Amino acid sequence: MSGPIHQHHRTAASEPPLIQGLLVGVALTFLTLFLFVPLVAVFYEALRKGMGVYLAAITDPYALSAIRLTLLSAVCAVPLNMLFGVAAAWAITKFEFRGKSLLITLIDLPFAVSPVIAGLIYVLLFGAHGWLGPALTQHDIKIIFAVPGIVLATVFVTVPFIARELIPLMQAQGTEEEEAALVLGASGWTTFWRITLPNIKWGLLYGVVLCTARAMGEFGAVSVVSGHIRGLTNTLPLHIEILYNEYQFAAAFACASLLTLLALAILGIKTFIERYTFSQRRPPAGGDTP
Amino acid sequence: MSIDIRGLYKRFGNFTALDHIDLKIPAGQLVALLGPSGCGKTTLLRIIAGLETADQGSIWFDGQETGSRHVRERRVGFVFQHYALFQHMTVFENIAFGLRVRPRKQRPSETQIRAKVHELLALIQLEWLAERYPSQLSGGQRQRIALARALAVEPQVLLLDEPFGALDTKVRKELRRWLRRLHDEIHVTSVFVTHDQEEALEVSDQIVVMNHGRIEQIGTPEAVYDTPATPFVYQFLGNINLFHGRAHSGWVRLGGLRVQAPEYQDAQHAPAMAYVRPHDIDLLREPEDSDSTLPATVNRIAILGSLVRLELRQTSDGEIAEVEMTRERFAADPLQIGDLVFVKPRHLRVFLQEEAATEASVPMHWHGDGGGI
Amino acid sequence: MMPPQLRQPSVLPGFGLTLGFTVAYLCLIVLIPLAMAFLEAFQLGWREFWSVVSAPRVMASYRLTFGAALLAAAINTGFGLIVAWVLVRYHFPGKRLVDALVDLPFALPTAVAGITLTTLYAGNGWLGQFLKPLGIKIAFTPTGIIVALVFISLPFVVRTVQPVLEDLEAEVEEAAASLGADRWQIFQRVIFPAIRPALLTGFTLAFARAIGEYGSVIFIAGNLPMVSEITPLLIVSKLEQYDYKGAAAVSVVMLILSFILLLLINLLQRWNRSRQA
Repeated sequence: MSGPIHQHHRTAASEPPLIQGLLVGVALTFLTLFLFVPLVAVFYEALRKGMGVYLAAITDPYALSAIRLTLLSAVCAVPLNMLFGVAAAWAITKFEFRGKSLLITLIDLPFAVSPVIAGLIYVLLFGAHGWLGPALTQHDIKIIFAVPGIVLATVFVTVPFIARELIPLMQAQGTEEEEAALVLGASGWTTFWRITLPNIKWGLLYGVVLCTARAMGEFGAVSVVSGHIRGLTNTLPLHIEILYNEYQFAAAFACASLLTLLALAILGIKTFIERYTFSQRRPPAGGDTP
Repeated sequence: MSIDIRGLYKRFGNFTALDHIDLKIPAGQLVALLGPSGCGKTTLLRIIAGLETADQGSIWFDGQETGSRHVRERRVGFVFQHYALFQHMTVFENIAFGLRVRPRKQRPSETQIRAKVHELLALIQLEWLAERYPSQLSGGQRQRIALARALAVEPQVLLLDEPFGALDTKVRKELRRWLRRLHDEIHVTSVFVTHDQEEALEVSDQIVVMNHGRIEQIGTPEAVYDTPATPFVYQFLGNINLFHGRAHSGWVRLGGLRVQAPEYQDAQHAPAMAYVRPHDIDLLREPEDSDSTLPATVNRIAILGSLVRLELRQTSDGEIAEVEMTRERFAADPLQIGDLVFVKPRHLRVFLQEEAATEASVPMHWHGDGGGI
Repeated sequence: MMPPQLRQPSVLPGFGLTLGFTVAYLCLIVLIPLAMAFLEAFQLGWREFWSVVSAPRVMASYRLTFGAALLAAAINTGFGLIVAWVLVRYHFPGKRLVDALVDLPFALPTAVAGITLTTLYAGNGWLGQFLKPLGIKIAFTPTGIIVALVFISLPFVVRTVQPVLEDLEAEVEEAAASLGADRWQIFQRVIFPAIRPALLTGFTLAFARAIGEYGSVIFIAGNLPMVSEITPLLIVSKLEQYDYKGAAAVSVVMLILSFILLLLINLLQRWNRSRQA
């Protein structure tokens, strides 16, 4: 019975097939030119000179040290921003206080700042000519053109990712379950670990995934603070830049293909999380009897 | 456990949610907090639970002040309006939660927890659902699980926020009877919030009628319905007919009607309002004497199961009045649309306009404006 | 009567701890470092500051950066609407894959995007070879910048409009149809007003993202002063010449413009929510 009605509904509020086809065509052409062709091109260019060149490029000592540094900066930045994201989301969604919308805006701030400026401000703060530069030189601490600077710049550009995933999620969940746990005698920590965390785990994972992607792919901010010392302060994106500027295109694309695979994996995880949490939210069929 | 509420005051910004509430709830009773939305009833319930803090005033459980006790230590059972079941836990784990989070020394053994949860599942007759998740349950089932979870910690007080609000009519009726039976079994002091008068009248031992952060009346369902203390209570519980008129030296004149009102002996032409329940009206074929009945014509007749509801138009001013009578009585002298009848209120309550004026925002089943003499 | 409260009391614990940590973290990582740019720039003095930020080469870079970002955001608004529409309303093979891939520019490092687009649109590239005979040059021209910015800001409009289109009730359109409106009228008068705030939000987000972009642009732009040099690149080259104050001054101008945009985005989103409620 519902079939024909559904069909009827479709035709009542839809466009003629010609227009539909045209719109789909325009959308797919646009996406092909700007998304699909570049995606294929990365792998094509990477493998153009053969598997040998590809493997040599990604097992090159400089490439390996760039990969290590990229992973290191992500491993430092992501947990810090995770802690921050959870704390900020808890304060913002579980309490009413003055200045809340200002705080939310401030969390978004790094999104609006050009990555280049993110790098610059750390140079101004910690660089040899920076505000804290002389003090740091005295104690022989190197931040700019060294690993700590790369980590700091990465932290800066990825500050909002996890908080922004958690805030709307926890807002929608409200505080009733936490209140119920407290009424039943649970302590604050118990409530967080046993009630809040299980409820936000998928959102948290998604935020972590996005944060990791951005941390590993960041270019502008890291480029400013890195100093481009091969084998020491080169991350994978910076290594790609150097190879490209030296006209080692196949090697550059080989390294780029690694980051592209990472990006595809992230999209896969994202799609999986969305489907999974969606199917969990769906009410079961026929469960509406008292 | 008895609850004693003294001078409770609570504001949210500029909004006064509770305006110096005093209330004593005797041990073992089932009490309804009844009122329109925004009257402060949920706030009062949450303050009793310890989920909100009052700006002023205190709450005493069995003569002990609770203010310093955190919600964790109050041993109250709270059933949330939308149940607040833990979505990621099974029904069993939801009910067991309160026992599992006790400090290690007071925590029962796993066997004791199992026994307790199964006992509660038996009480709510849902043993077969133990391993399901909340999202797999119907609204009525979730409601009962929420109640079992609250009872698991053996609360001294059970608090329910709009317990049947989110359910459809049929389930709601079943569940409130079930709640009443359950209360008769376990006798824990219980307070529930509702905006549904029928629910309050059917289930509770005492009704506390609230409006604008104040208590309008406290009494048994019978007392609150039969002798409302204020115009607000009159309008909020049950259907009413409203007549406008003036009170003067112990008499009230309402259109062609003149009734005695000894309580307003001193009134001098004061605007007054009279409230009559639709079932407190007799319909006569002939006038009695000139000022004890009002002429009207039958406008509409609706047969509602065992009741007949008639809509009358008053001859004098065209105002509408509603009358209810049993099928039997209607059958004894069937009226037809267009018939002339004479309205004689059996029971009528008069309030002076000043008392009633503040209640203008309350919705009524019908409202004739002005008229009067 | 009551003293004004900093926060409404709540039984949930952890307010002081979490808010304290949040504010301290933001100050240390974001606010204090950002304040450095302002401090450094204001050491120049007003007159010199003005001469730095209004030098012809800098002015040309603003025009290019904001112009290209504006164009890219506009292109993405038009095509983004079509993509969102097609993804929500129609069925076609591979739709789920396409839907998942729309987010690729969020996940793909900008340097990868930069070298790939440059290779594709260079005169001998897959796409560039078709354009060359027509006399169209993309790589190493300002047009190349627009192409890169379109790529990196592509998902914004799609992802802001898509949920609004999904939530649009079919009944409203059916009601309009039953009142005699044709399909175009329904789009113009019923659907478009409903998605307009989301479209604007998406546009502004795309614009804000495109202004600050660096990684993808520097590969494709050619980076000729006065012609194809974007403002972030100018900041980098000032920095490389150890002109910290000059770099800070230009950054301050960009920061202020970005803050204004951020404010605008927040207002738009609030407007969105109030309309949906």
